[in-house]
Amino acid sequence: MISKKTAMMVLNAALATGGDYAEIYCEETNGEGILLENGKIESVGKSQSYGCGIRIFQKNRSVYGYTSDLSLKSLTALATSLAGSFEGERLITVTNIKKQKVKEIGKIEDHLLDVPVEEKAALLRECYEETKAVDPRLVRIINGLTSTERTFHLFTAEGETAKYFVNTEERGRIAMQAIAAGADGKIEVSFSAPGKSDGWHYFKDVLNTKEEARKVGEKAIMFLTADECPSGRYTVVIANGWGGVLFHEACGHSLEATATAKHLSVFSDSIGQQIASPLVTAYDDGTMPYEWGSNNIDSEGNKTQKNLLIKDGICKGFMVDKLNGRRLGMPANGTSRRQSYRFAPTSRMSNTYIAPGKDSPEDIIKDTKLGIYVANFGGGSVEPTTGEFNFSASEAYIIRDGKICEPVKGCTLIGSGKEVLMNIDRVGNDLALGQGNCGSVSGSIPVNVGQPTIRIKEITVGGRGGRLE
Amino acid sequence: MNFKKFFEICEEKGIAESQIVISRRKSTSIRLFKGDIDSFNIADAQTVTACGIVNGKFGSATTQKLTKDTFAYLADQILVAAKFNEKEGEASLFEGSPRYKKGNVYDESLAKTSTEKKIEILHQIEDAIYAADPCVTDADSVSYSESDISDEFYNSHGLKLKQKSNYFYFLAGAVCKKGEEVKTFYDSFIDCDLSKFQVEPFVKKIVDGALKKFGGAPCEAKKYPTVLHHDVISDLVSAFLSSCSAEEVQKHSSFLEGKLGEKIASSKLTIEEKPLTKNIYFSYFDAEGVATKNKVVVKNGVLKTYFHNRETAKKDGVESTGNAAWEGSKIGIGCGNLFVKPGKQSFDEMIAGIEDGVFITETAGLGTGMNASSGDFSCQAEGFRIRNGKIAEPLNLITLSGNLLTMLKDLKAFSNEPILTNNAISIADAYIKKMPIGGM
Repeated sequence: MISKKTAMMVLNAALATGGDYAEIYCEETNGEGILLENGKIESVGKSQSYGCGIRIFQKNRSVYGYTSDLSLKSLTALATSLAGSFEGERLITVTNIKKQKVKEIGKIEDHLLDVPVEEKAALLRECYEETKAVDPRLVRIINGLTSTERTFHLFTAEGETAKYFVNTEERGRIAMQAIAAGADGKIEVSFSAPGKSDGWHYFKDVLNTKEEARKVGEKAIMFLTADECPSGRYTVVIANGWGGVLFHEACGHSLEATATAKHLSVFSDSIGQQIASPLVTAYDDGTMPYEWGSNNIDSEGNKTQKNLLIKDGICKGFMVDKLNGRRLGMPANGTSRRQSYRFAPTSRMSNTYIAPGKDSPEDIIKDTKLGIYVANFGGGSVEPTTGEFNFSASEAYIIRDGKICEPVKGCTLIGSGKEVLMNIDRVGNDLALGQGNCGSVSGSIPVNVGQPTIRIKEITVGGRGGRLE
Repeated sequence: MNFKKFFEICEEKGIAESQIVISRRKSTSIRLFKGDIDSFNIADAQTVTACGIVNGKFGSATTQKLTKDTFAYLADQILVAAKFNEKEGEASLFEGSPRYKKGNVYDESLAKTSTEKKIEILHQIEDAIYAADPCVTDADSVSYSESDISDEFYNSHGLKLKQKSNYFYFLAGAVCKKGEEVKTFYDSFIDCDLSKFQVEPFVKKIVDGALKKFGGAPCEAKKYPTVLHHDVISDLVSAFLSSCSAEEVQKHSSFLEGKLGEKIASSKLTIEEKPLTKNIYFSYFDAEGVATKNKVVVKNGVLKTYFHNRETAKKDGVESTGNAAWEGSKIGIGCGNLFVKPGKQSFDEMIAGIEDGVFITETAGLGTGMNASSGDFSCQAEGFRIRNGKIAEPLNLITLSGNLLTMLKDLKAFSNEPILTNNAISIADAYIKKMPIGGM
């Protein structure tokens, strides 16, 4: 996107006023979105994100700017303008740029963007037919496939020799939504959107798209007659996979150095302390091949890692980016991420999960007399400073005498991260991951959440259904 | 950019009608942390969005890569998109409205105010937060953002429209600690006239907001007479308005289907959309180039109109209401600059008759806790108990649930102090007869 010569001139302009680190991040992302409404193609959208971000550090201060004009003139002007925020003598002159090896953690041969639109639309039509066949009350069925390929060229300078990285990431996500309308005017929605950093064969041959499509239809119909979720404090069993959004919100965000470095997290000074039940061990692992939240390298050029966050309930580490690492006195650990060149990167989650325990999910349900089984989620949010979080269940059932019984809808779980992690009293052996997009200071990024089936002794449940009896 | 060249290329490639929108966003954002500039961001980026009609079918493409090949790239992508488009009916681009009510909302003085002055205000905010109370441990996210936006719209029918706007945004939060209890409160201020911003009331609201939360606890789970802070009711009304989209109605996924002309809410509810109001949300043309107009959406509880773009209007045999908005690669529907008619009583007068109720001041998780099609919602909430007509003890870690239509039918009153909220709705605090609150 830019030559080494241009990069060197821009880096030196950025470092002219005493900056001790400078970075240029040039990005081109090509995207395609195919959207079907009731089996017919509604739109085929092509998009191209293109631009460059420049970041400079002077000790713990950072400045960032971006532009969609990648000419030498524009980039030098941006670098000079940013450097104007610092006062000082030049510390670094870049004289050499050395290209770095980037190891691909999952090689993709069958690029999604190379597959003809007809083929992808045919798969989406199959999904539509499968959902439609479930019940005539499904009045609107939406199927979509998004494909992106992002290539970034990253130049980082901390000394005479700057490092140069070239990295490409590809992702695909297939979305299915069913809307059911009942005779009484009730409308219910069900949604599923599995994603992967993988090629076409995954969506065509590996993922059971038909089963996913059928389930989406069945659930929308089921909700038409579901009761409202009760409210109060109950035992809650959370299914594997997307259930991991609980850990993502209740704990994950509060372990990002973005929050901990400024002592603005409930877990700021928690390393070495017990912050969760001894049954909980948790990781953030950006290295999992072909997974939705994986990357070869992070936005600062660091190799992604498998980072241990919690071991047997004891806090072992944070997700640390370069700038916050300086504040914490800790090395960066491959977790610096961003949505695009329009965002400065910072520490973020990738594939974050609670490790499997010993219980079978069946036993966990069997041992629960009265409670709520949450099978799937819409998402959630957290305030890392207080640790208070929420997440909404998109599919939940009442547990009575050790059995999953009637479905309920409109269910929100809330609590404080500290309390809920200590309240986990069963951890299953059925780890699975679920895909989502996480929004935070450096934009919306793909993340996997994950966990085995877990049980929380007691948590606040909000709904319109009165008391659970 | 020479947009005429784009039209020529489109014509050569067989694109009968074409349109191009060039958007330029310049922005600056500055954040302080403990007296230092913690981050300083500047940006200047252009996005070109183009669309066209091929054999009666619509296609579109977007890029930020501006080279000599940009126009050819866009035209090729439009051809691909249009080729596969299976939407029924003949699509077309707009030839123009008879009249456009242009307006200038660009504040020259904001662009001319020095960065130093803006940083000085940030220091004043941060210092004032720390000085406000001994319980304050941190001033968080003390930041200033400024955006300068210009949009140029051209189509092959000769329609040329331009709009320029700018605004600034202050954000700050206070972190307060008493023993082991940590409370936070954040607020923001958005406008284009910097002289309207005052540090003292801004900081007072933030620090008081955090301090008042100490001792907060859940209440018993049941239905309570509920007063919703203007920010909370604004989010809920915003979700309600998304169901006024004619596209959602026509596709059977809106609870407002078949309800045009019917009483769908309490007679206390009147909502007008006034896109031509000269504030930061001013807009005189929509994404299709249709002139926007002020209109009544709900009058005394009766639904008066859906929001239409040209396609949905054609289907319903009505005129476009000027509510076209880009949704990814297609033209969807949006709205902005909404005004909800306030009531006659002050906040204190409004709550005076509530013996045992709740005042919800903040929610979290409404984005995922809202079923926009059915109007059912459930989310995290906090606020205060209302006892004997007065605000009483704080409430924390409770849930607010309900259904939008039920809530609006149960609307008893708005106070007489409307505020223009961040989702472009001017609305006052609302009193709802009863809502389900979850807690202990």
